[in-house]
Amino acid sequence: MTADSHALTTAEHSPVAGLTHDARGGISNPILGMILFICSEVMFFSGLFAAYFAVRAAAPVWPPIVEGDEALTEAFRLHDEPWFALGLTIILVLSSFTCQFAVWAIRKDDRTGFIRNIGITLVLGIVFLIGQAYDYATLGFGISDGTFGTTFYTLTGFHGAHVFGGAIMLSVVLYRGLAGQFSARHHDAVEATSLYWHFVDVVWIALFSTLYIL
Amino acid sequence: MHPLRHPRNAIFVGLVFTLIGFIYWFVPYVLKIHVDYAGVTMLAVLGIAMALMAYVLIAGSPND
Repeated sequence: MTADSHALTTAEHSPVAGLTHDARGGISNPILGMILFICSEVMFFSGLFAAYFAVRAAAPVWPPIVEGDEALTEAFRLHDEPWFALGLTIILVLSSFTCQFAVWAIRKDDRTGFIRNIGITLVLGIVFLIGQAYDYATLGFGISDGTFGTTFYTLTGFHGAHVFGGAIMLSVVLYRGLAGQFSARHHDAVEATSLYWHFVDVVWIALFSTLYIL
Repeated sequence: MHPLRHPRNAIFVGLVFTLIGFIYWFVPYVLKIHVDYAGVTMLAVLGIAMALMAYVLIAGSPND
């Protein structure tokens, strides 16, 4: 077999098992690009988290107490009612599992399993977004309600935008999957999208832990 | 493949930045001066980003 005849393959001899590589062991360009993009996104979110922790450390009490506004003070106490957000967390974690099941399915050329799992992932992502919109509508405070409101909505809003972007990627992957464009040998877009989706999931777990538990 | 070129070693690159972040938090904490939590957060997360970058550089390089 010549090197050209297996230029792209899931190389068993590769140092990174499971990802698609060229025959010499390098990562394929779409996956390389996605990992580098995720690196930049990690730093983007770290900036937002840094702002949150700086504001929180400078506050005398956290969550802040608003003098003369009991309702707003009560609304800031997210730690008391984390259950809805916990439900959203479970949905997003489940979607990461189904996304990975889809990747494993297409690696085995199981297109039916791939399409089913990508479809479930997309539905779970949309349910998360609807849940977040509902949460925003019922929280009882807005983005202009002090540093707490600003940091909360900035963090969760940017994350929601990333989930929305991920849902678009999943839609494209689902459409291409239905069109039969993916196989065990050619599915870089699926691998790249799954990496992004796992990243978005990890960021939400960090957000949930920071805003609702810590 | 040389053992040092194993992608697993990328985690050590990340740990270096995380360690610097820890020192950046620990020293002011012990001295009871202002702790720059924004800087600590950035350094800790920079560890993740740098580990990913190192992973890409090592794993993405051809074996030959």
